[in-house]
Amino acid sequence: MRSLEIARGCDVNAETSPNSRRLRRVTQPSVYVVDRLARGLIACGGLLTVVSVFGVLIYLCVEVMPLFRPERIERVASWSAATDAATTDSTDAPAPLDARRAGITKVTARGVAEPEATGVESGMSPSDSAPLVGLDDYARMYWVFQPRRRQVLLCRVGGELLARHAVGVEKTVTASTVNPWTGDFAIGYADGTVQTGKLSFKTEFLDDSAVTAAERALQPGESRPYRKGLLERTAEHQLRHHTLVVQQKKPIVVARDRRILLVDQAHSTRGTVLVAVSDDGMLRYARVTERKNLLTGETVTRLKQGQCPAQFDAEDSPAFLRVAGLGDNVFLVFRDGRLLRFDTRNPSSPVLVERRSVLDTPHARVRCVTFLIGKTSLVVGDSEGNIGVWFRIKPDDASTPDGVVLVRGHLLHGNGNAVTALAPSLRSRIMAAGYADGTVRLFHVTSEQQLAEGRFTAVRTAEPAAGGPDAGAAVRAVVLAPKDDHVLALARDRGMLWRVHAPHPEITWRSVFGKVWYEGYPEPEHVWQSSSGSDAFEPKYGLVPLIFGTIKATFYSMLFGAPLALLAAVYTSEFLHPRWKKRVKPTIEMMASLPSVVLGFLAALFFAPIVERIVPETLTALATVPFAVLWGAYLWQLLPIARHGHWHWLRIPLVAISVGVGLQLAAWLGPVVERTLFAGDVMLWLDGQIGTGTAGWMFLSLPLSALMAVLIGSRWVAPAVRRRLRNRPTRTYAVCVMGQFLLGSAAVIAVAWLLGAVLNQIAWDPRGTFVGTYVQRNAFVVGIVMGFAVIPIIYTVSDDALSAVPESLRAASLGAGATPWQTALRVVVPTAMSGLFSALMIGLGRAVGETMIVLMAAGNTPIIDWNIFSGFRTLSANIAVEMPEAVKGSTHFRMLFLAALTLFLMTFVLNTIAETIRLRFRKKAFEL
Amino acid sequence: MTQQPPAAVPQSPASTDGDVPQQPAFSQPRPAAAKPPLPDETRPPATSRLHRIALGEPIQAEIHDAVLREDAVLEFDHFSLWYGSKQALFDVSFPVARGKVTALIGPSGCGKSTLLRSINRMNDLIDSVRYEGDIRLNGESILGRQVDVIELRKRMGMVFQKPNPFPMSIFENVVYPLRIDGIRNRRLLKEVCEQSLRGAALWDEVKDRLHESGLGLSGGQQQRLCIARAIAGAPEVLLLDEPCSALDPIATAKIEDLINELRGEYSIVIVTHNMQQASRVSDYTALMYLGRLLEYGPTSDIFTRPHLPETNDYITGRFG
Repeated sequence: MRSLEIARGCDVNAETSPNSRRLRRVTQPSVYVVDRLARGLIACGGLLTVVSVFGVLIYLCVEVMPLFRPERIERVASWSAATDAATTDSTDAPAPLDARRAGITKVTARGVAEPEATGVESGMSPSDSAPLVGLDDYARMYWVFQPRRRQVLLCRVGGELLARHAVGVEKTVTASTVNPWTGDFAIGYADGTVQTGKLSFKTEFLDDSAVTAAERALQPGESRPYRKGLLERTAEHQLRHHTLVVQQKKPIVVARDRRILLVDQAHSTRGTVLVAVSDDGMLRYARVTERKNLLTGETVTRLKQGQCPAQFDAEDSPAFLRVAGLGDNVFLVFRDGRLLRFDTRNPSSPVLVERRSVLDTPHARVRCVTFLIGKTSLVVGDSEGNIGVWFRIKPDDASTPDGVVLVRGHLLHGNGNAVTALAPSLRSRIMAAGYADGTVRLFHVTSEQQLAEGRFTAVRTAEPAAGGPDAGAAVRAVVLAPKDDHVLALARDRGMLWRVHAPHPEITWRSVFGKVWYEGYPEPEHVWQSSSGSDAFEPKYGLVPLIFGTIKATFYSMLFGAPLALLAAVYTSEFLHPRWKKRVKPTIEMMASLPSVVLGFLAALFFAPIVERIVPETLTALATVPFAVLWGAYLWQLLPIARHGHWHWLRIPLVAISVGVGLQLAAWLGPVVERTLFAGDVMLWLDGQIGTGTAGWMFLSLPLSALMAVLIGSRWVAPAVRRRLRNRPTRTYAVCVMGQFLLGSAAVIAVAWLLGAVLNQIAWDPRGTFVGTYVQRNAFVVGIVMGFAVIPIIYTVSDDALSAVPESLRAASLGAGATPWQTALRVVVPTAMSGLFSALMIGLGRAVGETMIVLMAAGNTPIIDWNIFSGFRTLSANIAVEMPEAVKGSTHFRMLFLAALTLFLMTFVLNTIAETIRLRFRKKAFEL
Repeated sequence: MTQQPPAAVPQSPASTDGDVPQQPAFSQPRPAAAKPPLPDETRPPATSRLHRIALGEPIQAEIHDAVLREDAVLEFDHFSLWYGSKQALFDVSFPVARGKVTALIGPSGCGKSTLLRSINRMNDLIDSVRYEGDIRLNGESILGRQVDVIELRKRMGMVFQKPNPFPMSIFENVVYPLRIDGIRNRRLLKEVCEQSLRGAALWDEVKDRLHESGLGLSGGQQQRLCIARAIAGAPEVLLLDEPCSALDPIATAKIEDLINELRGEYSIVIVTHNMQQASRVSDYTALMYLGRLLEYGPTSDIFTRPHLPETNDYITGRFG
């Protein structure tokens, strides 16, 4: 402001110029205004840019954060179970065989006469009599399955008994099972029959007029027992009646006149599978097919049965029987950890295929066995507190008859107390485990992390239980609510309900960026597979394959694009006639305006199929086109007009012709190359089925041997030739040089072949590394097409950088007697290095973030394989492909944001490094 | 290449653009040049050579006999040069003495630099350039088709108006001419580097920092570095294109001392604006005007007893 006043002060002394114009030696206020305005606008724009970039970063972080937030549980209810609802069906689990033999009546009598008897008190370990429990969708009530007492109890959370449903028939119950996912149950009887049925919750909404005043008075959130169920006023003022429905079928004879010791069932595509172990030591397998006759309306039940010895004797009966998902495998687990696996794909003759131990320590005992969702992973809890998760893999060197081996993929450590109850989640790979000391832990199996831990509060019973210090606290049953939002645990005399907050249990840093052993995989691997057709699917969120894909795409496209673009820039800025440059540069820049989606579908629908058809020709062209262009250059030197300045314009058309000749050469030589080098079929060769590695190594080492030839040639051969031909005519020299080139080319091929043969001799095959099985959408195609996408930008920026090198440097170099080529390489390129480097980095940035081309032409297979002929999936393409199908707020959705954040950080780090290096380069030349 | 007729003769001095002699600031009345343009029929007969040159008429250059007696390293033989259709040099013929310093002086745009750049054919880089006549180096034509331009330039060393060291170390700057010849012998390179830097009177100042960037030197040092680079290739002729115009007086003095030291060892052609410099450093001086040679002779004669009155006018500052 001060300067303004001074200026105003000067205004008084306004002078008059010689041409009588009044000179106002003052800056007009409007100039100040515009100046301020411009400054403000520019500052505003700059700040907004910075803020928006940071905004994006922050938004991504906010979306990603919940993935890594620790899971927790909070107690919402606890009660002491005074009713028999919390007690268990004491003889639910199979008793030792001898006890069973002692008499049916005794067991039955005990089951009825001693309702309060628990497993602990009857000398069995708690897990023997672990009650079968299920929780409803709203975590309001739970059922307890007690087939030995021929009843299912429906209890309200809090312990209140709501209903008692009858199950089973008037026979001695010797075994039972419930499928936690479907509610299907099976009861085995002493007479060798098995009865199946189903437990399910039923929800209906009642009209206010249909109920009594007491029910009508319910406030939202309140509930009360009503007609064998629970009536609740929902938040929408509806009356929801929730109750249990028990359906059951007639018993089926599975083992005639034998006592059923263990039973389990599964649903295969061809009907219900019932598996039982009978007291004669046989494994019985029965497939029940029900078919309804459409004419008579009569249901025909067909039974297909098979059996095989289960290999145990009277003293040593198995404790757990489990049938895998589709009924194709049966697992029989003994207390001491022995596991027998039967192949039951042929129902009429089950075969014992594998026996092994599922415990590490000899004195440990198996306490509970269950499946994870999908009934593929077998979860074994032992008396040491460890939980092993076992699944079948198919290794190449399997010793079992069916080629399948059971492995322990995960081990979840406890605190040393025995595992007394296990409950799989009904929708995910969460596992709830109850321990003998009254703790309940939630694990996520895939990521092997403990999500949360809960503990029974010390509700001491009047008289301590006999089983040990606070044996009453030992968790006898644990169950997860269908939505994974609650976990219920029952001890002998108490119950507790926790609310679970675990929206993204499968995500840890290790599971995202480390190797994870997924179900059915032979070893821990990096896998991205976010969705599948089945609910039992294990989501695999390993970002490494995507990061790898991004790097692979960038690598191959830069391998193709960067040298071309840089050489083109050097050529146009240093050698090309300005008149031509004026046309070439805008043409190349126009290539940048090609939408990448157009390039993408050209690559996918046009280029990829063509390349697939002419693989040998394409490979040959990589060698013949450079050869033809160089040969053309030597031929040009032979022409008398070559040294005339004004014929130089002919060079570009001649280069185009040379390229054409090279392509034609490739077309001719391609089939020959395929016959001689690739054993007649390049596809089979790449697949590794035929031929030897020589040809592959030869192709791979061609650039290397060419480089060697160039170095040797320019260092020793060319100076010698020049010395010898110093005083010969130009034409002789040109002929000799061409001869040298042709000999050199032959030598390059020979050396490459030799190298290939040597590498092949030491039994090193290139297939499986950088070449391998050919897939139509592959890195080669993407490399070329994305190369075309990055060429214009690299070219333009580097050409500008080269053109910015002061003419005086070129003059100095040329004046010192350097050739234009020497000038370019020794002076211009080093001086423009910072610009060239920026150009490369901008190209790299484009390649890293490029989406449409890789989306369309890369095949989108998230595999980690350097093979140039296989596909890949980049972070960007992955986001584009999966974002539309990701549920907002889900783990998948947030993982895509994590992918975006990773991409952001990758480019950020890349650009930061690039800028640092660029500044270092620039420092060298900044004083120009 | 056929003889191109001289450019269209301008009808009045005022119609030619910047190439006419600039009106002297002190506006002393001078024949023809000072007067306002006259209609054709009333124009007086041209008496001044300057005027005749401005009209495009050929004139005979005044070449002193002393020059012709010297052993010539370079000879210009009726050399003319065109940039496109514009002629820049008109029929220039004179010899350059071996082992001596020859200065080219003249007002701006008179073609001194073009002439200098013709000697190592740097003008070839300009697309539309075309020339006639001949230049001979040691009796051999350097304009022939069979002449290898690259080899020719290796026989000349050139120093430009603006110091232009490469963005590399001092050492690499000096040995650049050897590097491009593919010489890798470290001992030889070091020897040449020291020799050239000593020759360029720069050794003592930079010997401890040979591997620092040449761009870190001062302007005068940079120019001497360029001279060291120029003499590293052991040239037959050293071409200096206004080597001091971008330097301060002290640096200029150093360069002039250097030129004095290089005298005898090299044949030097120096283009300069600065007449005092020409008189201080050169043995022979050629005065050029609008693409033509006006007078050429021993420097002492040119500056003290010029044969032509126009030369006298120029050196006394009456025009130019």
